[in-house]
Amino acid sequence: MVISQLSVNVDYVRLQPDPFLNELTSMFERTTEKGSVWVTLKHSSNKSKVQRNKMKTAGEKVEYRCLIRATDGKKTISTLVGPKDHQRFQSSYATILKARMTALKKRERKDKRKATDSSDKKQVPKKRSSAAKKISN
Amino acid sequence: MVYIASWDDFVEKSVQLFRADPEKTRYAMKYRHCDGNLVLKVTDDKECIKFKTDQSQDAKKMEKFNNIFFTMMARGPEVADKRRAGFQPNSFGLQKNFG
Repeated sequence: MVISQLSVNVDYVRLQPDPFLNELTSMFERTTEKGSVWVTLKHSSNKSKVQRNKMKTAGEKVEYRCLIRATDGKKTISTLVGPKDHQRFQSSYATILKARMTALKKRERKDKRKATDSSDKKQVPKKRSSAAKKISN
Repeated sequence: MVYIASWDDFVEKSVQLFRADPEKTRYAMKYRHCDGNLVLKVTDDKECIKFKTDQSQDAKKMEKFNNIFFTMMARGPEVADKRRAGFQPNSFGLQKNFG
Protein backbone atom coordinates (compact mmCIF):
# COMPACT_ATOMS: atom_id res chain seq x y z
CA MET A 1 0.00 0.00 0.00
CA VAL A 2 1.33 3.37 -0.95
CA ILE A 3 0.99 5.98 1.72
CA SER A 4 0.89 9.47 0.35
CA GLN A 5 3.82 11.70 1.17
CA LEU A 6 1.58 14.20 2.81
CA SER A 7 0.35 11.90 5.51
CA VAL A 8 3.78 10.58 6.37
CA ASN A 9 5.00 13.67 8.16
CA VAL A 10 2.17 14.20 10.58
CA ASP A 11 -1.09 12.35 10.73
CA TYR A 12 -3.53 15.01 9.78
CA VAL A 13 -6.99 13.60 10.20
CA ARG A 14 -8.66 14.00 6.84
CA LEU A 15 -12.12 15.47 7.11
CA GLN A 16 -14.84 16.65 4.77
CA PRO A 17 -14.90 20.46 4.38
CA ASP A 18 -17.84 21.07 6.71
CA PRO A 19 -16.65 18.98 9.67
CA PHE A 20 -13.26 20.57 9.11
CA LEU A 21 -14.71 24.05 9.53
CA ASN A 22 -16.56 22.99 12.66
CA GLU A 23 -13.40 21.56 14.16
CA LEU A 24 -11.49 24.69 13.16
CA THR A 25 -14.04 26.80 15.01
CA SER A 26 -13.56 24.79 18.18
CA MET A 27 -9.78 25.13 17.80
CA PHE A 28 -10.20 28.89 17.84
CA GLU A 29 -12.41 28.56 20.90
CA ARG A 30 -9.90 26.38 22.73
CA THR A 31 -7.00 28.77 22.14
CA THR A 32 -8.47 32.01 23.41
CA GLU A 33 -6.64 31.82 26.75
CA LYS A 34 -3.34 30.56 25.44
CA GLY A 35 -1.93 28.94 22.35
CA SER A 36 -2.15 29.57 18.63
CA VAL A 37 -3.95 28.21 15.61
CA TRP A 38 -2.10 27.46 12.39
CA VAL A 39 -3.81 27.06 9.06
CA THR A 40 -1.79 26.00 6.03
CA LEU A 41 -2.82 25.99 2.40
CA LYS A 42 -1.09 23.91 -0.21
CA HIS A 43 -1.52 23.07 -3.86
CA SER A 44 -1.73 19.32 -3.73
CA SER A 45 -2.53 16.34 -5.90
CA ASN A 46 -2.69 14.10 -2.85
CA LYS A 47 -0.33 11.75 -4.62
CA SER A 48 3.31 10.93 -4.07
CA LYS A 49 5.98 12.27 -6.36
CA VAL A 50 6.52 8.77 -7.77
CA GLN A 51 2.84 8.46 -8.60
CA ARG A 52 2.81 11.90 -10.17
CA ASN A 53 5.78 11.11 -12.35
CA LYS A 54 4.18 7.85 -13.42
CA MET A 55 1.04 9.64 -14.39
CA LYS A 56 2.96 12.29 -16.25
CA THR A 57 4.94 9.78 -18.28
CA ALA A 58 1.72 7.92 -19.01
CA GLY A 59 0.29 11.18 -20.30
CA GLU A 60 -2.39 11.35 -17.63
CA LYS A 61 -3.41 14.68 -16.25
CA VAL A 62 -2.57 15.11 -12.59
CA GLU A 63 -5.44 16.74 -10.78
CA TYR A 64 -4.62 19.31 -8.18
CA ARG A 65 -6.71 20.54 -5.35
CA CYS A 66 -6.20 22.77 -2.39
CA LEU A 67 -5.12 20.99 0.76
CA ILE A 68 -5.94 22.81 3.97
CA ARG A 69 -4.40 21.76 7.23
CA ALA A 70 -5.05 23.19 10.64
CA THR A 71 -3.53 22.62 14.03
CA ASP A 72 -3.61 24.08 17.50
CA GLY A 73 -0.44 22.26 18.45
CA LYS A 74 -2.31 19.28 19.87
CA LYS A 75 -4.82 18.21 17.31
CA THR A 76 -4.29 18.27 13.57
CA ILE A 77 -6.94 18.18 10.89
CA SER A 78 -6.98 18.53 7.13
CA THR A 79 -9.33 18.71 4.20
CA LEU A 80 -9.22 18.99 0.43
CA VAL A 81 -11.20 21.44 -1.65
CA GLY A 82 -11.37 21.35 -5.42
CA PRO A 83 -12.46 23.80 -8.12
CA LYS A 84 -16.13 23.06 -7.42
CA ASP A 85 -16.27 23.77 -3.74
CA HIS A 86 -13.45 26.19 -2.93
CA GLN A 87 -15.63 29.27 -3.23
CA ARG A 88 -18.18 28.03 -0.76
CA PHE A 89 -15.40 26.87 1.53
CA GLN A 90 -13.49 30.11 1.45
CA SER A 91 -16.53 32.19 2.28
CA SER A 92 -17.36 29.99 5.29
CA TYR A 93 -13.72 30.13 6.26
CA ALA A 94 -13.73 33.92 6.04
CA THR A 95 -16.83 34.05 8.22
CA ILE A 96 -15.15 31.95 10.88
CA LEU A 97 -12.03 34.09 10.83
CA LYS A 98 -14.07 37.24 11.11
CA ALA A 99 -15.95 35.87 14.08
CA ARG A 100 -12.89 34.48 15.88
CA MET A 101 -10.12 36.97 15.21
CA THR A 102 -11.42 39.47 17.67
CA ALA A 103 -8.21 40.15 19.55
CA LEU A 104 -6.73 42.26 16.78
CA LYS A 105 -6.65 45.99 17.27
CA LYS A 106 -9.21 48.20 15.69
CA ARG A 107 -8.14 50.91 13.37
CA GLU A 108 -6.57 53.86 15.08
CA ARG A 109 -7.82 57.23 14.06
CA LYS A 110 -4.64 59.18 14.43
CA ASP A 111 -1.86 57.69 12.40
CA LYS A 112 0.85 56.05 14.35
CA ARG A 113 0.61 53.62 11.55
CA LYS A 114 3.11 52.37 9.05
CA ALA A 115 2.83 52.87 5.33
CA THR A 116 0.95 49.59 5.01
CA ASP A 117 -2.34 51.27 4.34
CA SER A 118 -1.11 54.07 2.13
CA SER A 119 -3.31 52.61 -0.59
CA ASP A 120 -6.39 53.09 1.53
CA LYS A 121 -8.54 56.08 1.05
CA LYS A 122 -7.53 58.90 3.23
CA GLN A 123 -10.13 59.81 5.70
CA VAL A 124 -11.46 63.18 4.91
CA PRO A 125 -12.08 65.02 8.11
CA LYS A 126 -15.67 66.09 8.23
CA LYS A 127 -16.22 69.75 8.26
CA ARG A 128 -18.18 70.64 11.25
CA SER A 129 -20.08 73.40 9.66
CA SER A 130 -23.06 72.84 11.90
CA ALA A 131 -20.84 73.08 14.90
CA ALA A 132 -19.35 76.31 13.79
CA LYS A 133 -19.60 78.65 16.63
CA LYS A 134 -21.82 81.56 16.27
CA ILE A 135 -19.83 84.53 17.09
CA SER A 136 -22.07 86.96 18.77
CA ASN A 137 -20.75 90.38 18.57
CA MET B 1 13.41 35.80 9.36
CA VAL B 2 12.64 39.32 8.39
CA TYR B 3 9.07 40.44 8.18
CA ILE B 4 7.96 42.39 5.16
CA ALA B 5 6.55 45.74 6.18
CA SER B 6 4.47 46.56 3.14
CA TRP B 7 1.32 44.54 2.54
CA ASP B 8 1.39 45.06 -1.21
CA ASP B 9 4.97 43.81 -1.42
CA PHE B 10 4.02 40.78 0.60
CA VAL B 11 1.14 39.91 -1.70
CA GLU B 12 3.19 40.40 -4.84
CA LYS B 13 6.14 38.35 -3.64
CA SER B 14 3.91 35.57 -2.35
CA VAL B 15 2.10 35.20 -5.64
CA GLN B 16 5.42 35.20 -7.50
CA LEU B 17 6.77 32.52 -5.23
CA PHE B 18 3.74 30.34 -5.76
CA ARG B 19 3.86 30.78 -9.53
CA ALA B 20 7.51 29.81 -9.59
CA ASP B 21 6.88 26.52 -7.84
CA PRO B 22 3.24 25.65 -7.21
CA GLU B 23 3.99 22.15 -5.99
CA LYS B 24 6.32 23.20 -3.21
CA THR B 25 4.91 26.51 -2.10
CA ARG B 26 2.64 26.62 0.91
CA TYR B 27 0.86 29.42 2.67
CA ALA B 28 0.43 29.33 6.40
CA MET B 29 -1.23 31.69 8.81
CA LYS B 30 -0.86 31.71 12.53
CA TYR B 31 -3.29 33.43 14.81
CA ARG B 32 -2.59 33.96 18.46
CA HIS B 33 -5.61 35.21 20.32
CA CYS B 34 -3.98 35.82 23.70
CA ASP B 35 -1.35 38.10 22.17
CA GLY B 36 -3.70 39.44 19.52
CA ASN B 37 -1.42 38.92 16.59
CA LEU B 38 -1.49 37.35 13.21
CA VAL B 39 1.41 36.06 11.13
CA LEU B 40 1.21 35.11 7.49
CA LYS B 41 3.92 33.07 5.91
CA VAL B 42 4.55 31.86 2.39
CA THR B 43 7.46 29.59 1.69
CA ASP B 44 8.84 27.09 -0.81
CA ASP B 45 11.48 25.89 1.70
CA LYS B 46 14.12 28.00 0.00
CA GLU B 47 12.63 31.41 0.35
CA CYS B 48 10.39 32.53 3.13
CA ILE B 49 8.14 35.55 3.16
CA LYS B 50 6.41 36.68 6.29
CA PHE B 51 4.03 39.37 7.37
CA LYS B 52 3.07 40.15 10.91
CA THR B 53 0.30 42.35 12.21
CA ASP B 54 -1.91 43.13 15.18
CA GLN B 55 -4.41 45.25 13.25
CA SER B 56 -7.89 44.01 12.46
CA GLN B 57 -7.95 45.83 9.16
CA ASP B 58 -5.07 43.65 7.99
CA ALA B 59 -7.32 40.66 8.66
CA LYS B 60 -9.67 42.09 6.09
CA LYS B 61 -6.85 42.33 3.59
CA MET B 62 -5.97 38.76 4.45
CA GLU B 63 -9.43 37.69 3.35
CA LYS B 64 -8.70 38.85 -0.18
CA PHE B 65 -5.30 37.24 -0.01
CA ASN B 66 -6.93 33.97 1.09
CA ASN B 67 -9.29 34.16 -1.86
CA ILE B 68 -6.40 34.58 -4.27
CA PHE B 69 -4.59 31.61 -2.79
CA PHE B 70 -7.64 29.36 -2.56
CA THR B 71 -8.36 30.07 -6.20
CA MET B 72 -4.80 29.55 -7.35
CA MET B 73 -4.40 26.37 -5.35
CA ALA B 74 -7.76 24.77 -6.05
CA ARG B 75 -7.89 25.66 -9.72
CA GLY B 76 -4.24 25.90 -10.62
CA PRO B 77 -2.26 29.08 -11.20
CA GLU B 78 -3.16 29.31 -14.91
CA VAL B 79 -6.89 29.40 -14.34
CA ALA B 80 -6.48 31.93 -11.59
CA ASP B 81 -4.57 34.14 -14.00
CA LYS B 82 -7.49 34.41 -16.37
CA ARG B 83 -9.84 35.32 -13.60
CA ARG B 84 -7.57 37.70 -11.84
CA ALA B 85 -8.38 40.86 -13.72
CA GLY B 86 -12.02 40.95 -12.74
CA PHE B 87 -11.54 39.15 -9.51
CA GLN B 88 -14.06 39.85 -6.83
CA PRO B 89 -13.84 38.18 -3.47
CA ASN B 90 -16.94 36.40 -2.23
CA SER B 91 -18.72 36.56 -5.55
CA PHE B 92 -20.62 33.45 -6.37
CA GLY B 93 -21.75 31.93 -9.60
CA LEU B 94 -18.57 32.71 -11.49
CA GLN B 95 -18.24 31.00 -14.80
CA LYS B 96 -15.84 28.16 -14.88
CA ASN B 97 -13.51 28.31 -17.79
CA PHE B 98 -11.26 25.35 -17.93
CA GLY B 99 -8.88 25.38 -20.85
